[in-house]
Amino acid sequence: MTTPMRRRQVLGLGFAALGTAMAAPALWRRLPRFDALAEPTGAATLASHGGVADLELVAQSSAGTLPGGPREVLTYNGRSPGPLLEVKAGDEVRLRLRNRLDQPTNLHFHGLHIPPTGTGDNVFLTVPPGGTTDYAFRLAKDHPAGLFYVHPHQHGLSADQVFGGLGGALVVRGDLDRIPEVAAARESVLVLKDYASTSGEEAAMGVGRMLGREGPLLTVNGTINPELPVASGGLLRLRLLNASNARIYRLALEGHPLVLIATDGRAIGTPEPLEELLLAPGERADVLVQGNQSPGTYRLLTLPYRRSGHMGIADADQVPQTLATLRYAGTVAPLPLPTTLIPVPVLPEPERTRRFVLGHAMEMGGMGGMKYAMGGMGGGGTGMGGMGMGFQINGQAFEPDRIDTRVRLGSTEDWLLVNDDVMDHPFHLHVNPFQVISRAGRPESQRRWKDTVLVRAGEEVRIRVAFRDFPGRTVYHCHNLDHEDLGLMGVLQIDGQAS
Amino acid sequence: MSPIPLRRLPGFLSVLIRSGALALVAGAAVAVVAGSGSLAARASTPAQIPVTSYRSASCGCCKGWVQHMRANGFAVRDVVVADLPAIKQRLGVPTRLSSCHTAEVEGFALEGHVPAADVKRLLHSRPAVAGIAVPGMPLGSPGMESAYGKEPFTVLAFTRTGAISSFSRHPQ
Ligand SMILES: [Cu+2]
Ligand SMILES: [Cu+2]
Repeated sequence: MTTPMRRRQVLGLGFAALGTAMAAPALWRRLPRFDALAEPTGAATLASHGGVADLELVAQSSAGTLPGGPREVLTYNGRSPGPLLEVKAGDEVRLRLRNRLDQPTNLHFHGLHIPPTGTGDNVFLTVPPGGTTDYAFRLAKDHPAGLFYVHPHQHGLSADQVFGGLGGALVVRGDLDRIPEVAAARESVLVLKDYASTSGEEAAMGVGRMLGREGPLLTVNGTINPELPVASGGLLRLRLLNASNARIYRLALEGHPLVLIATDGRAIGTPEPLEELLLAPGERADVLVQGNQSPGTYRLLTLPYRRSGHMGIADADQVPQTLATLRYAGTVAPLPLPTTLIPVPVLPEPERTRRFVLGHAMEMGGMGGMKYAMGGMGGGGTGMGGMGMGFQINGQAFEPDRIDTRVRLGSTEDWLLVNDDVMDHPFHLHVNPFQVISRAGRPESQRRWKDTVLVRAGEEVRIRVAFRDFPGRTVYHCHNLDHEDLGLMGVLQIDGQAS
Repeated sequence: MSPIPLRRLPGFLSVLIRSGALALVAGAAVAVVAGSGSLAARASTPAQIPVTSYRSASCGCCKGWVQHMRANGFAVRDVVVADLPAIKQRLGVPTRLSSCHTAEVEGFALEGHVPAADVKRLLHSRPAVAGIAVPGMPLGSPGMESAYGKEPFTVLAFTRTGAISSFSRHPQ
């Protein structure tokens, strides 16, 4: 009985917002969209019980509720970002994905160390519109505890779907959570996601697919500027996920250092206080905040950052923008910071080094309608099926049936990531985490596990990766998902036998 | 000749203009006319108009735009520079309209993947603007032809004082 009433109220709001200039036919075309509001919104958290996680995500289009935001948002279970998925190391995970979109989709379990094959982290699976697929895998008992990311990975549509609203956080509980100081902290998962404006015309200011789409609405867990309560003397554990399509956040909290304890879902050796934290799409970080300042409110900011020279810089991007507000409330006996966390082991010496040059260029080949000779254009492949303008790794755009890199299970390699472009590329490798060895020739000061690393325009980053446990075919790519969809992805074949 | 109606501008521009943040320069507004068949016909003269184009060495798409301009009758000098922002500043290109390359033609600045047809209309109508720009790198714009798709884009005119107006839309 309540549904018709609610629907009428919603329509009333809709009419008022549309104003008088709108012609009647346009209004009628808009009506069905509001039906989406009748859809039930699922639980905010889906957790495992007794060693089994039985989860269901329904991908669908829902009416947007952000003021000034898009009229339609893509959601999991009616939510954008999707529900928080909470599992434990050792769990059996069964996740049913129902596709109620009008286009194919699938899932990537970003950062999990699970098989890339079968019903695991298999990005070559596709769920057609109206279809259902069951993902199923077991997390190892010693799987790192951390913050991971579930999002679509349908090549050619990843950016549309993530920028449209899909994606959510996945927490694995385990070792790090048992460190007493960490366990005592109040935990808050913060999913950072930007949304297009209602008109979407920021693209006309240059923030299109080549740069990677950004929206002017900055949200945390789908809300603009939420409050983060902290007790005086208390400890807050902020678990940050950049679930944006292309936006890079340069985070700073007024009056408080961010004490880093984990990167990309894996603990670091010792806590490291930071004044600023740069978080590229796909990257995660856990930071502790001590409530040791005078009670009041402090803004969590994203500071100006240029990821593409001056291109695509809106006025708003040139000043700090508020993401959330820390508010002191209550008092507790002062909680200490941990002094040590979980050691990050030294990886074996690499058996070989490979070079990956990332950039954009005209890819040559069977491209129809190319009116002029492109002699001297960098990077152009010469085979069939050149895509014209797009992104490439070592001169080749993504081709799902071509193996670009073949490695041996159990081996360790160095990969030299060379950004030969005028814009930043966050590089992501599936299944196996890596360690950054050096940037621009300078050794990294702290050993950390990573699965996504920002390679800035013109920069070279050396990473070391050990291919462990799982043979099979997977990918590495730019996590500016527009870049991925425009070709910046390669196929990795890990040869060997699972033990 | 009529000034551009506000509703033809992208929403963000109309907002800026209505809020008084930007003053529309009269000349720029007058220059924006829908349909310019006669101008296009006159613009296709064989005269080689000199253009100087500045880009950084690593840019993968700037050369494509140079080719597009040459194919459309401009004599383009392609110059690789280390400090592109300094050139943009000298020519008065607003930061937020930046693209990957900047050019100069008969005292006007050209920023980014501006179609040759728009350059010809600019030179014919000579509005009171510092130049015209296609911010970013729209897929499918001249020099950005791609099998991945085509993005609509707006060519924007800008003045030395930072006033921005719509010059043309692609597709119209
Ligand atoms: Cu990812
Ligand atoms: Cu990229």
